[in-house]
Amino acid sequence: MASDLNVTVKHLTRVEGHGNIYFNAKAGKVEKVLWEVDEAPRFFEAMVRGKSYSYLSHITSRICGICSIGHSLASLKATEAAMGVRISEQTELLRRLALHGENLQSHSLHVGYLAAPDLFGAPSVVPMVKTHLDAVGKIVAVHRLANRLSDVTCGRTTHPITLTVGGFTKVPSEEDLLSAKKECEKNIEVTRSLAKDILSVKDKIPDFWRETEFIALVNDKHYAFYDGKIGSTDGGTYPVSDYLKVTNEYFAPQSTAKYAKHKRASYMASALSRLNLNYEQLTDGAKEVAEMFGLKPVCHNPYMNTIAQLVEIMHSLEDSIDLVDKVIGMGLEEEEFEVEVRPGRGVGAVEVPRGILFHDYTIDEVGNCVKANCIIPTNQNHGNIQQDMEAMAPKLVNMPEKDIELRLEMLVRAYDPCISCSTHYLKVNFI
Amino acid sequence: MKPRVAIFDFASCEGCELQIVNLEEKLLDLIDIVDVVSFREAMKEHSNDYDIALIEGSIMRPMDEERIKKIRERAKVLIAIGACACLGGVNKLRNEWPVEEVKKEVYGDAPLEGNKFFDVFPTKAVDEVVKVDFYIPGCPIDRNEFAKVITAVALGRKPRLPTYPVCVECKKRENICVFELGQFCLGPITRAGCNAICPSFQDGCEGCRGFLDDAKMDAQKDVLRKYGVTVDQMMKKFNFYNYRKGVL
Amino acid sequence: MKALSKLEWLKFVDRLVNDSGMDIIGVKAKGESFVFDRLKSADELRLDHDVTILPPKKVFLPVTEDLISYDLKGQVRGERTVDDKKRVLIGVHPYDVIAIEQMDEVYLGNNIDEHYASRRLNTLIIASDIINVSERSFAASLGTHVTDSGYDLLVTDIGDTVVVDVGSKEGRALLKKYGKARDASKKEVDTVKCWRSDLPTWFARRAKLPPSEWKRVLDENHDHPVWDENSKKCLTCGTCTTVCPTCYCYDVDDRTDLNLKEGKRQRTWDGCLLRDFTLVGSGEIFRDGVKERYRHRFYRKGAYFPDRKGFVACVGCGRCAYQCLPDIADPSEVINSIASYNLHKKEEHPVPPVEHPEIREDLLIPEPATIIRKQKMTDLETLYVVRLDSGKELGHAPGQFVQVSLYGIGEAPISISSAPLGKEFELLVRRVGDVTGAMEKLKEGDKIGVRGPYGRGFDPKEMQGKDMLFISGGCGLAPMRSLIDYTIGHRKDFKDVWILYGCKEPAAILFSKDLKQWADVENVKVLTTVDKCPDGQCWDGNIGVITTLIPKVAFDPKTTIAVIVGPPIMYKFVIRDLKSRGMPDENIIVSLERRMKCGVGKCGHCQMNGIYCCIEGPVFKYSEVKNIPEAF
Repeated sequence: MASDLNVTVKHLTRVEGHGNIYFNAKAGKVEKVLWEVDEAPRFFEAMVRGKSYSYLSHITSRICGICSIGHSLASLKATEAAMGVRISEQTELLRRLALHGENLQSHSLHVGYLAAPDLFGAPSVVPMVKTHLDAVGKIVAVHRLANRLSDVTCGRTTHPITLTVGGFTKVPSEEDLLSAKKECEKNIEVTRSLAKDILSVKDKIPDFWRETEFIALVNDKHYAFYDGKIGSTDGGTYPVSDYLKVTNEYFAPQSTAKYAKHKRASYMASALSRLNLNYEQLTDGAKEVAEMFGLKPVCHNPYMNTIAQLVEIMHSLEDSIDLVDKVIGMGLEEEEFEVEVRPGRGVGAVEVPRGILFHDYTIDEVGNCVKANCIIPTNQNHGNIQQDMEAMAPKLVNMPEKDIELRLEMLVRAYDPCISCSTHYLKVNFI
Repeated sequence: MKPRVAIFDFASCEGCELQIVNLEEKLLDLIDIVDVVSFREAMKEHSNDYDIALIEGSIMRPMDEERIKKIRERAKVLIAIGACACLGGVNKLRNEWPVEEVKKEVYGDAPLEGNKFFDVFPTKAVDEVVKVDFYIPGCPIDRNEFAKVITAVALGRKPRLPTYPVCVECKKRENICVFELGQFCLGPITRAGCNAICPSFQDGCEGCRGFLDDAKMDAQKDVLRKYGVTVDQMMKKFNFYNYRKGVL
Repeated sequence: MKALSKLEWLKFVDRLVNDSGMDIIGVKAKGESFVFDRLKSADELRLDHDVTILPPKKVFLPVTEDLISYDLKGQVRGERTVDDKKRVLIGVHPYDVIAIEQMDEVYLGNNIDEHYASRRLNTLIIASDIINVSERSFAASLGTHVTDSGYDLLVTDIGDTVVVDVGSKEGRALLKKYGKARDASKKEVDTVKCWRSDLPTWFARRAKLPPSEWKRVLDENHDHPVWDENSKKCLTCGTCTTVCPTCYCYDVDDRTDLNLKEGKRQRTWDGCLLRDFTLVGSGEIFRDGVKERYRHRFYRKGAYFPDRKGFVACVGCGRCAYQCLPDIADPSEVINSIASYNLHKKEEHPVPPVEHPEIREDLLIPEPATIIRKQKMTDLETLYVVRLDSGKELGHAPGQFVQVSLYGIGEAPISISSAPLGKEFELLVRRVGDVTGAMEKLKEGDKIGVRGPYGRGFDPKEMQGKDMLFISGGCGLAPMRSLIDYTIGHRKDFKDVWILYGCKEPAAILFSKDLKQWADVENVKVLTTVDKCPDGQCWDGNIGVITTLIPKVAFDPKTTIAVIVGPPIMYKFVIRDLKSRGMPDENIIVSLERRMKCGVGKCGHCQMNGIYCCIEGPVFKYSEVKNIPEAF
């Protein structure tokens, strides 16, 4: 079908942050397919300079409202690595629990409010309140539990209060942890039921396949979120301190972009990456959900990231229950900890809902930060999004404009980008 | 006719908008009493016909200024939500350095000349560009305060924020004062309304809701000195959210 | 006296916790400090505590309390929410017991507050002698370190025994039901006596003056330098009033749910140190300066309360002293620093007698009333004719006010504008805020809530046989009108009548029809004036402030009563002119506006120095208030 096609989406909806999609075809030939980000640059790496180690995490948590716990933890880990501060096992368990709270919150938001409407043919969750009230109720239930878990571990969902260098300003009470655990238990069935609802519209998930590299944390002991080495589906593991060798940021001559690439032209950081690399360590319930959708490693369909997130919702619920049991079994204690100020450079890596996040700080002798570098998962994905669009483009010319628009929007949404986190601006150009 | 509400964000982390989504079941109440006609983060639907505009985020570039001015023209009521919109928030930290230096620190030698996305000036709060009718402060905003303000606007009441310090709410919660725990706190000069959430978790107040108009700055500095806080530490905490308002 | 072994005491408490079905609230540790909180077991109880962060007043007057729950759909209704849960408080120190008795004087004396009463009547108090003295407490110097009344049981922990003094029959019954007590031995009784008599030596702090001297010293030192010096350091953070066992002022707000269907009228603790404590709808703040607010707290404790009730409203617990960050809140330190200072000037604080001993149930719940007629008078002011739905007469005296209530919006105090005649009464409402703004949108037939009438009104009997000079400014004519109508309705009881009325401009004139009708009555002269006449408005009368009318009136100062109602600024100048004509103080009557919230002398916002304007006012004889610093 030889036709002129023109698709422009300014400020893509149902994603975090501002991005634009352009697609032009003349007489059946693709002229331009472009993913462009016009989000205001935030300059966090400049702003933390000269600030005391004791509240770096308070500043960097403000990079993103949805992943504020993840940014806080990456920041704290970088600071602790730089200054040689050790944390107790109790702190690590509680931090992992906090990260699950964030994972649940972000995934339920994305799956339910941002991605699901496309699968159910609705412009947003608002009309779904009338047409699919039951499904919306399940999403609200999981979301509410997620907020509760964050409240209990961090004081609040967005911009955590209790997370600090060396430990917690206030340890959650046993009572609160047990009540949060009970809420998790209740929501396992809710999630299973939600999965079935999504299964019913599974055919709306585009069947797209493009081989790419997946990067995520890996850990012998458990499905990696809080700690681990950098792993790749193309083989090899790297210590976190070598992250620059993996991310390899560089400027492409024809654009103002910073790309990230490793073994191929681009790679993907995401829930799907984690699933592809850590599948065996998923909880049993999570594996069941994956099997419902035929999702198994290595899956190269970016649209399935949304399903990977659904799988992780189940995993986070079940793992949270285990973590609460473990930390209470050890005997919860308010810890007294002294932090000794020492100069150094450290890297902290954490898996936030959208993928692997790096914070790299250099601290001086009085405890102030002198240099910082942050690499956000979405950053690392822009190259991959562009590559996907280019690979998809030749097939798109056979579709009506409205369908092309939806297909491209759904692609970007599937990556669950967190664009305002991008402390590095990206303008992706392809002609 | 239900009031039509539109939600916009500028340079922000979108955490404040997330609090609106975090209303959980009360979100259904909200969309029952108002018509949310534009909320880019959660909805594809969009309309330029709205009565009330909620703005999150600071103004960083000429293209942002243009956009907020257009919104101000269309809206009858403009409400700034969150510290970035109300005060400039964390985004104002970079105003300490000239714009060129900040750009170089983050982007190195990247060719940014003439690129309008990078044409930044020192961060501005929303009311430094357009008139703001009401403020919902905080970093992030408090869900209950948000509900209180929207309810007041819907009932024809003037939304009133507390004009007293965080200490009032902290003492009512029977917290141990964080000064006794060896920290220092900006609670005595910061606007209440957050129910003293940070001191309740044993973390001193950072002033994210903004200082009171009649904040007793000298008395607060005396107290901080009494507890051995250095001038440098004081400046950094004062300027975290309330840039240049705590100048010594 | 009775006694329990330590073990038996713990079992007694455990039985209370597990078997009694009541809420057992005792002193527990919180970090390095102590608080009153629900006990889960007896070993949480800390009878050895020195002082709690918040006093037990929070049990009887909760930090936030629902007064009324209302729903806005369809017919606007409200229902009282009263808490009648049974409780036992354990570990109340003697100074806190005395403080509770002081609160009872206010909340259960005049105008009984049923929310407070219900909690009070359903709570048993197990007091405990002080074992460890708090660093900043000076209770011994006030005699509040021990007490022999106000409790159901008083326990003294003397080591392996707990000695129990039974204070009431309910206490006796409680001990019998849940404890195994024996009679105390003479040695045990003596130990307790010795402990109590030695106790004062453990107090590091003391007030150098006995409480009976506080009022005199404060009266003589209204301008002492300590007020300036200390208030400069004051953060007006509200900590002192929040943690004080004898402070109980509160604010009221309507909290409606986001669905706009239901809500609660709630009260929450407020404090006189906060700037907006005395803010009224028009924007005026009656106690604006930090020094005035800082000083007011000490006068309330040490001068006004002795006047009203005969006791100093401070029990020396030391909470304010140790929790005030700049450390300026300690009453003993303030008294000590001015005790040695003696100014020769003496301040008189005459206080009018309280004459409202009636007990009111349903104190805070409004009665439904209907707007019968509505008439717009000026751009800002509207006159409403209202009738109570019950059909009863309001039964008001001229000069009194009502609280108009609109659920979801709030309440506002409005003076009654009509003489007491029949079932209808009139309210002149000026649009200044939420409630008055919402009222304007109502139509004839719509309903409002009404509480009252409140306040001390004019006393026409005292004015009989006299010449009357009514001087009103702006909407001061509204309450004045009820007195003028009464006077004219009883014309023979009064001699010559002059009505002076001044307004900003002709368009702001209220009751122009009434003014004309009054002028037609025999021996009634009406003089009006405006400050200015802007373009477009017609006026051929006097132009100038209200005082320009006074020379035009030939009155005999000895036989004339002058009544003045108007904006705050007016009083000083009018009174000055009347006095220069030889009018004695007793012949001048004023009506003073302040921020009214509860209307029944509880919430504290209308305080003018030691006077509650809602109870002792708003009408005053000038001689009663001429020396009250905050009056004019």
